[in-house]
Amino acid sequence: MSPPVLATMRGVSKAFPRVARNTERLRALGALLAGRPQVAAATVLSDIDLEVVRGESLGIIGRNGAGKSTLLKLLTGVLAPTTGRIETHGSVAALLELGAGFHPEFTGSENIAMAGALLGFGPGELAARRDEILSFADIGRYIDEPVKHYSSGMVVRLGFALVAARRPDLLITDEVLAVGDEAFQRKCIRWMEDYLAGGGTLLLVSHSMYHVQKLCRHAVWIDGGRIAARGDVHEVTQAYLAFQEERIAADRGAAPAAPTTQEFRVAAMEINGESGEGAVSMQHGGALRLRIRVESAAGRVPTLAVGLVRADGTPVYGVTSEMDGARAEPDGEGAFRFTLTFDALPLLPGSYCVRAHSQDPEAMRHFDTFERVLLVRGRTRELGLVHVPHRWGGDAP
Amino acid sequence: MLPDARWFQLLRQFTVRDLRQRWLGSFSGGLWALLQPLAMLAIYAVVFVEILKARLPERVGSEFVPFLVCALWPWTAFAEALNRAVNVFPEHAGLLSKVPLPREVLVLAPVCSAFLVHGIGFAAVLVVLALVGQPLHPAGIPQALAGFLLLFAFATGLALALASLQVFVRDLGQTLGQFLTLWFFLSPVFYAPEMLPPALAPWFALNPMAGFLDAIRAPLLGLPATGVETLLMPLLFAAAALAAGRWIFRRLERHLEDFL
Repeated sequence: MSPPVLATMRGVSKAFPRVARNTERLRALGALLAGRPQVAAATVLSDIDLEVVRGESLGIIGRNGAGKSTLLKLLTGVLAPTTGRIETHGSVAALLELGAGFHPEFTGSENIAMAGALLGFGPGELAARRDEILSFADIGRYIDEPVKHYSSGMVVRLGFALVAARRPDLLITDEVLAVGDEAFQRKCIRWMEDYLAGGGTLLLVSHSMYHVQKLCRHAVWIDGGRIAARGDVHEVTQAYLAFQEERIAADRGAAPAAPTTQEFRVAAMEINGESGEGAVSMQHGGALRLRIRVESAAGRVPTLAVGLVRADGTPVYGVTSEMDGARAEPDGEGAFRFTLTFDALPLLPGSYCVRAHSQDPEAMRHFDTFERVLLVRGRTRELGLVHVPHRWGGDAP
Repeated sequence: MLPDARWFQLLRQFTVRDLRQRWLGSFSGGLWALLQPLAMLAIYAVVFVEILKARLPERVGSEFVPFLVCALWPWTAFAEALNRAVNVFPEHAGLLSKVPLPREVLVLAPVCSAFLVHGIGFAAVLVVLALVGQPLHPAGIPQALAGFLLLFAFATGLALALASLQVFVRDLGQTLGQFLTLWFFLSPVFYAPEMLPPALAPWFALNPMAGFLDAIRAPLLGLPATGVETLLMPLLFAAAALAAGRWIFRRLERHLEDFL
């Protein structure tokens, strides 16, 4: 039995050297031959600690350029770390690019022989698995054609079929599910689920949170070359999505410029008993209780609009006290209090914003806006914004 | 890192691929590998013996064509191995950045294929020479083979160093061809060391190829100075080249990908 830890990274950093000018290349050569550290130009990853144990399924997420692919390349040994230590045990297969290593001039069979050797198949082993590979790749008579005549889908299928036949201890894949048609994606996912169920270990880089959540138990979010978050896949992907949405909203400059007047000021919003202005988190399907205090300069009774929007600004739900005929309660100090309760909040996990707008008694004009961030947590893999009650099966209720 | 089964399997695959790539699309395929050296032999025989009336001095003790052949084929294997190995890393940049593999295999494959192709061609040419009645010494074959294998080791060491240095100094690929042409004429392929002016002789001994070519040629032709001691200098040069090439390669190989 091989050791339970299949891959370890300790304090790993990667900086790419300056290579543009000839003198820089020569200096780098001198430094490497003399065993001196090189002059680094761009730091891509810094101080990464990571451990992959047998049976783990780990998703790696992050923006483009965050360092995900570099991390995988370091782990597979394609790149060497600038500092730190990397160890792997057991058989490791990497799919950094499906069809990498295929030579366009050679036939499918010839490329299978080469790719098989790269994956560590013995010649006998490869012959024994040939039928399995061909049936998974499903490229028929094209197997004896040069690979340059293949469609990209066929290249991808053949590449995946080889890895599937190898069944490594640790499988490292980079965005491989993004290529190929839907039928192939389903086949790959089915294979990966099967592989994981059989004790396989998976490291998956993907921009598809759907794939990450479906295949991985844990996730690591890499941002700016550092680990921004790690842990349960749902927590990490939700935090990442919320961050993405906020970034998009900030790029748009979407924060609405509310007319500020002191006539009806929203003084405070308490969410589930938490006062202040910070973010509040709650469980998916739990109760949301808002207590909002509005100061009225002239002593007139305000009305209130409450909106739930996603962090990127997409409105989800809005309601006003005027619609429901709810009355504000005067607190005796010239201010008014509204209490609004959602007993079972159907928002799906993610990052949202609760907005309260004070309105005049006729509910004709917005005066002031108060907003707080609401993080909804949960483990569901449902898609969209809200949970819509439903049931399966044809029986009448 | 010790070579394991996967390593040998990969070396075989890359060597076979290198061989196939040479003849990919050619009708005669592998046959050309055998025909080409024989055609070369015929051309040398006509040009040098019939037209130029080339003769070696009596004290060298050999006809011109066998003398030439016994050094030209080993030289060709050596030069082609280096010329093909020097550019392997840029040629396989896509593979290196995506697939983990023992990188030395990429360097060794063209060296192996060059020595295989020209080794077989060499053997074919020797057989033809023997058939037309040239005086060859079959007893010298083991020693010549030892010299040929030492030349292979020498080429492997140089190839490891050149291929990894080329990633940093791009001009190396172009310069090497010219340098090898110069080296070719400085080495005793067309002439015997005995034919040099005595003043140059000590300088000449510094050329490693003189030793290698002599170690292969002398036993095959039964020339004087055919003792096993002729293998000593080649052995030292091969060991030094392997050690230096390995050291340079080990220092650089993990960083090649950054500079490709």
